[in-house]
Amino acid sequence: MKKIAVIALASAFAFGITGCGKKAAESAAGGKALNVMIEVEVESLDPQIATDGTSFEVIADFTDGLKQMKADGSVTDALCAGETVSADGLTYTFKIRSDANWSNGEPVTADDFVFGWQRAADPKTASEYAYMLSDIGQVKNAAAVEAGKMSVDQLGVKAIDAKTLEVQLEVPVSYFDQILYFPTFYPVNKAFFEKCGDSYATSAETTLSNGAFVLTEYQPAAVSFKLVKNEKYYDASRVKLTGLNYQVIKDSQQALLSYKNGDFDTILLAGDQVDQVKDDPEFKSVGAGYLWYIVPMMQKVPELANLNLRMAMTYALDRETIVKNVLKDGSIASFASVPNEFAYNAKGEDFTPNQTEFSDVCAFDKAKALDYYNKAKTELKKNSFTFEMIVDDTTIQQNVAAVIKEELESTLPGLTLNLRVEPKKQRVQDMQDGTFQIGLTRWGPDYADPMTYLGMWVTDNANNYGLWSNKEYDALLEKCTTGEFSQKLDERWSAMKQAQRIMMEDAVIFPLYQQANATLIKSNVTGIEFHPVALNRVFKDTIKQ
Amino acid sequence: MKKYILKRILISLFTLLAITLVLFILLQLMPGSPFNDEKLSADQRAALYTKYGLDKPVFVQFFKYVGNMFHGDFGVSYNISKNTPISQLIAQRLPVSIKVGFQSVFIGALIGLLLGIIAAVWHNTIWDTLSTIISVLGVSIPSYVFALALSYQFGFKLKWFPMLYSTSHEFYSSVLPSISLCMFTLASIARFTRTEMLESLSSEYMELAESKGVYGFRLIWRHALRNTLIPIITVLAPLIVDLMTGSLVVEKIFSIPGVGSLLVTAITSNDYNVVISLSFIYSAMYIGIMLVVDILYGIIDPRIRLSEAVNE
Repeated sequence: MKKIAVIALASAFAFGITGCGKKAAESAAGGKALNVMIEVEVESLDPQIATDGTSFEVIADFTDGLKQMKADGSVTDALCAGETVSADGLTYTFKIRSDANWSNGEPVTADDFVFGWQRAADPKTASEYAYMLSDIGQVKNAAAVEAGKMSVDQLGVKAIDAKTLEVQLEVPVSYFDQILYFPTFYPVNKAFFEKCGDSYATSAETTLSNGAFVLTEYQPAAVSFKLVKNEKYYDASRVKLTGLNYQVIKDSQQALLSYKNGDFDTILLAGDQVDQVKDDPEFKSVGAGYLWYIVPMMQKVPELANLNLRMAMTYALDRETIVKNVLKDGSIASFASVPNEFAYNAKGEDFTPNQTEFSDVCAFDKAKALDYYNKAKTELKKNSFTFEMIVDDTTIQQNVAAVIKEELESTLPGLTLNLRVEPKKQRVQDMQDGTFQIGLTRWGPDYADPMTYLGMWVTDNANNYGLWSNKEYDALLEKCTTGEFSQKLDERWSAMKQAQRIMMEDAVIFPLYQQANATLIKSNVTGIEFHPVALNRVFKDTIKQ
Repeated sequence: MKKYILKRILISLFTLLAITLVLFILLQLMPGSPFNDEKLSADQRAALYTKYGLDKPVFVQFFKYVGNMFHGDFGVSYNISKNTPISQLIAQRLPVSIKVGFQSVFIGALIGLLLGIIAAVWHNTIWDTLSTIISVLGVSIPSYVFALALSYQFGFKLKWFPMLYSTSHEFYSSVLPSISLCMFTLASIARFTRTEMLESLSSEYMELAESKGVYGFRLIWRHALRNTLIPIITVLAPLIVDLMTGSLVVEKIFSIPGVGSLLVTAITSNDYNVVISLSFIYSAMYIGIMLVVDILYGIIDPRIRLSEAVNE
């Protein structure tokens, strides 16, 4: 017994002594390094393995691709020093900056891009974002390589010389430049990668930088890690921060208190905290790109196959009430199937300039809703309807769903909407399997083109959960992707608009709102760029006074 | 004695194996898969299943997993930290949880013991009532309430301690989490000590000791407390495991890079290997400690061993 007590005491003292030997905590917010909160751990710093927004943000802190995003979301050169496109739009030749180097001193070469892209397509890597090369980017042979039918060296990307990269495409892709800032397309130094083996990108030592910052402190699933400014960065004069200190906080109330305590320069807030800070001048609501919408299962639920019933339901939804009284975080009511502020044409015009474009076919109108409802009742020879809607188990989505239920049931007498709350992964699974009647879901853009949304409602697309099918719509989208409009950008633009009208008039989905993220940014910090696509935050132009 | 220990060890090993198998089957029954992002195509999902061997039957996966485990290979994480060996994640995070857990057990046991003794020695006085109130509060208020209150008062308002765990000031930043976690241990030990102590104090051997002229501190320490401590080990042992494996919510509040928060994330994201490995380690620690307690009991109190032998 004595022994146990002695051991316990001794150990406690050992802990105490080592602990007290350290200095008291200094203020984390000191210096010109930015203290940034993230909500989840980084999944991976390997550009071809990462799939989530947090990982992409951090990878882009220390890695540049051929292109980067400007503050307004448009595309501009990064490592690319010049680009030529063949007349048929199928061959791209990129010159790589002569002053672009890795942090180990080696130059960034065309081979680094070839290796990175081949890794992404290689089925052995099993990159979840390989479809960026094949389906989205239409890089030559990418689909065959991903399916294991061709070897990686047959991928349509090759190094002409050390600083010249040639890319071949299957069909012309009008937004090809816009996807090159996506981390899946980032270069990887092959010799360094092979030296690191399995430990590649798991620590500061096994990571190479060619970007604005260099990783100095990191371990897998770390709750805090650091980057410092890369003095050898070709654009170093642009970077004003001395570094980035990341910290994971999963409890949003702790995050808010820590921010007020001065531990952070910027944090993300949960929707229910917005009320507490909405009058704070440091509060900012930023577009998250996500479109939330309702999917009716048209093929398997006969009542929902009735257009009049679907029109009645979409007219019965008061979206303004949902954003103003339930969400209250800056989210905006949506009356279109493509969100605004993410897809622009060459003239800089927003594909969805305002959300009211299709409000004639969906905005809240009790009289119209009843009119369509009565027609539906006659056609279906039924006076009452009962449906079940599947909803994510988050508080916010349950609140939104409760309002939807109330709105539909009060506007359309005889209609009952039951809610089935499920964990997100179960909800997604049910929608993929088609085992649902009505689903409340969301979609975030993968690249800055309306096709990232419109492509979903093509017949047999895996994300066409309602199993809608329309030949005219399919033909229009075919023309815009691989057909005659793929290089005629103006025609393509208007064809996509036309396609959107078809699906909106057919009430394929009932758009609800465009999600916003609530953030707090200290008043002495300027120039944090927020984007709804690919890289959620960029700190290259951030200044901390 | 040898036979008794060997039997105990064999039962423990079998229990561990059974737990792993049950976990394997339960995880298969969970909705979704580690890769059910709606953006993944069926081919991509199949490629990922092949890469991680998830396309094989459950029993094949199970035996392969158990085989690898003997070599210390717990597999890799599927989505919390893609492709990182679980052994590495655990090596990084378990020491943090153990450290914070140990500190809180130590604080909790020490103060709990003191409170218990005070309550028993000054039985039915204001001290007894006070100690009982503290115990009741400690048992009934969950640790995250203490965590939030302490972090608000001493972290945010008074700024005595950091609000978040920091690797550069490990001890300093682990004070508040340790105190939040220790309350349950403190309360349990205090109540238990009080009861046991009262029993000892009213026993005949205490009267004998007193009549022999032993009194005061010496009487309490040598005669009452020593007899009280033995049963306390039984209470303390499972508490130690609970705390070392971390409190899930307290880790989340203070952003402690421990295993508790890792397990929660793993369960919600279907990171099978992480769930299995951590549950395995939790179970192994629990069973290990119970084994030690059993053996200690056998040594301390031969009747336990004998009664088993008789039953056989």
